[in-house]
Amino acid sequence: MERVTVEKTASRGIAVAPVYLYLEPDLTPETGSIAAQDREAEIGRFLAAKEAVVKELETLAETNEIFAAHLEIAGDFMLQDGVEGKINGDLKNAQQATGETIDEFAAIFEAMDDAYMKERAADIKDIGKRLMAALKGVKRPDLGGLTRPVVVVARDMYPSDTVKIDPSLVKGILTEEGGVTSHVSIIAKSMGIPTLVGVKGILSKVEDGQTVCMDAAEGVIITDPDEAAVKEYEDKLAAYESERARLESLRSTPAVTKDGKRIYLCANVGNVQDIQNALPMNIDGVGLFRSEFLYMQNTHFPTEEEQFAVYKEAAQLASQELTIRTLDIGGDKELSYYEFEKEENPFLGWRAIRISLDMKDMFKDQLRAILRASAFGHVRIMFPMIISMEELLDAKAVVEECKAELRAEGKAFDEKIEVGMMIETPASVMLADEFAKEADFFSIGTNDLTQYILAVDRGNKKIANKYDYFSPAVLRAIGHVIAAGHKEGIKVGMCGEMAGDQKAVEILLDLGLDEFSMSAGSIDYVREQILNRD
Amino acid sequence: MVSQKVTVTNPSGIHARPASNLCKVAGSCRCDVFLVVGDKKVQAKSVLNLMAAAIKTGTEVVVECDGEGEEEALKKVVEAIESGLGE
Repeated sequence: MERVTVEKTASRGIAVAPVYLYLEPDLTPETGSIAAQDREAEIGRFLAAKEAVVKELETLAETNEIFAAHLEIAGDFMLQDGVEGKINGDLKNAQQATGETIDEFAAIFEAMDDAYMKERAADIKDIGKRLMAALKGVKRPDLGGLTRPVVVVARDMYPSDTVKIDPSLVKGILTEEGGVTSHVSIIAKSMGIPTLVGVKGILSKVEDGQTVCMDAAEGVIITDPDEAAVKEYEDKLAAYESERARLESLRSTPAVTKDGKRIYLCANVGNVQDIQNALPMNIDGVGLFRSEFLYMQNTHFPTEEEQFAVYKEAAQLASQELTIRTLDIGGDKELSYYEFEKEENPFLGWRAIRISLDMKDMFKDQLRAILRASAFGHVRIMFPMIISMEELLDAKAVVEECKAELRAEGKAFDEKIEVGMMIETPASVMLADEFAKEADFFSIGTNDLTQYILAVDRGNKKIANKYDYFSPAVLRAIGHVIAAGHKEGIKVGMCGEMAGDQKAVEILLDLGLDEFSMSAGSIDYVREQILNRD
Repeated sequence: MVSQKVTVTNPSGIHARPASNLCKVAGSCRCDVFLVVGDKKVQAKSVLNLMAAAIKTGTEVVVECDGEGEEEALKKVVEAIESGLGE
C-alpha cells in the first residue's frame, strides 16, 4: 500500500475500482533491410495493414466526425507512395517504411506555425500507430471493450482514446502526463469522472487488475490498498454520492434567500457544449459567454455568419439570458493567425475593448452577429475592460451603427437589447456612478479587478498569497459598484472566480449582489449557500 | 496540359475541410491535377499535400491539369475553388 499525492485536481470525485492499465504495446518498427525479391511481399503487407485500418476507421467514422478526417489521411495516396518508395527504392521493410513515412508527414505539419495544423500532426501519428499495430499483428488496448468498472491508468489520453470512454464503467482516470487544461481533463470534467493528471510514476506503482482508491478533490491516490483503506474510501464514496444527490435535489428550488431576495444563478461558458452541460443545474442563464474562444480556436477572424450560427444556438439554449462578452484577447490570450506586437506589460496593454475599437470592421462583424442572434432569445451585450465614458459611448455608438444597418437590410434583432459592461478596472470602479447612467447592467470581473486594484500579478507564484479578493480594498470596490448600480436601478452581477467561491457567498449577498455567474461545477454548492442564508 | 489562375477566397484558405473538398473534386478527375503556388507544385489529389502547402485565403494559385479530360477537369477544379470549397 502506498499513498500518492497530487497538487492539482483535473476533475473531482472519489473512486474505488481495479486498475485498467491503458498502455500501448511496443510499436517500434523492426529494422533490417529486405532482399529485392521480397519487395512485392512487403508492399502487400503494407496494403493489407492499410485496408484493415481503413475498415477500422470506417466503423469509427460512422459516429464521430474526427475519424472521417483520419480516414481520408489513411487512404491518401501520398502516404502509400511514400511507403512504396521506401520499400522499392531503399529496400526497407514495411514497418520501417511506414514508420518513416508517417514521421516525415508529421514533421511537415509540426513545423507549421498554425496551431490547428500542428494538431494535425497528432492525427497523422495516431494513424501511424494504427498502421503499425496492424503490421505487427498486435492489439492496442480498447476502452470500448470494457465489461466491468475500472480506474484507467495511462501515460496520457488522446481524443481517439477518450471518445471510447463509457462513464458508467470508467470510474476514475489517472495519467502520468498531462495538465489540468489538457484534453483528457476537459473531457473527464464534462463527463464527471474523477481524474488526476500529471501523476509522476503512477504507471510503475500499479498493476493491472489491482484495486486503487482515489479522492480527486483531495489529490490522494492509495495504490494496492489494504481492507481498511478500501472500506474508508467506499464509505467516502457513499458519503460523496449522497451529498451530490442532496445538492441535486435542491436544483428545482429557485435561489431565493430566507429574507426573500431572488438571486440569479448563471453559468460562465466558453462554447455551446458548456451551456448544455450547465442546463441540468437549472441555471437562470449565462452570465458570461467568453466569445474569445471562438476567435482563439480558429484559423481566421470568425466571420459574421460563423459567429451568428454559434450565438443563435447559444441564445436558444440559454433562453432566459445569454450575456455575450465581446472579444477579450490580448493580455495572456493570443491568436494563432494574428501577430500581436510584443508588449512590456500585456495586462496594461492593447487588449479587449481597446482592440475592438481600433479594429472596427472586426468589431462590427461580432456585434452584427450578436444582434442577429438576439432575435432568438434574451441576449445581452457586454464590453470588457472599459476605463472611460468615451470608450463606453464609442462602443455603444458602434452598436447603434450596426442596428441601423440591420434595420436597413431588414434583418431581425431585439431593438431593446441590453448593453452592459464589465467592471474590472479601478477606473470603472471610480466612475461606476457615471457608468450606471449609460450601462444597462454591470458584471464585476473579480479576476482582473483584484489584480489591478492590488497591483498583484495573478500569475506570479511569489506573491500568490497577496492575490486575495477578500482584501478590504477589493470588497469596498465591490460594495461601491453594487451601490452605484442600484442607485440607477440596474442589475449588478459578478462573473469572476469569487462568484463561485462558497466562502464569498455570504458577504456578496450582504453587499447586495443580484447575479452570480460561475463555472457549472460550482453552481450546486453556491445555490445551497444562498438558500441557507438568513 | 491546360492551366488557369484563380484566387483562393474562402476564409480559412485551403485547410482542413476545404482541402478535403478540393481533394475530392481533384480525385474525381482522370487527369493529373496540380496547384502551383509560387515555386511549389502541389498534388491536388492528396489531402496531405494540400494541407501541408498551407495555402492562405487571398493567395493566387495556378491550377494545372494534364491528361485525359483535362479541359473539363480544369473547369471543375477552378469552379470549386471560386465557389469557396464548401466553406
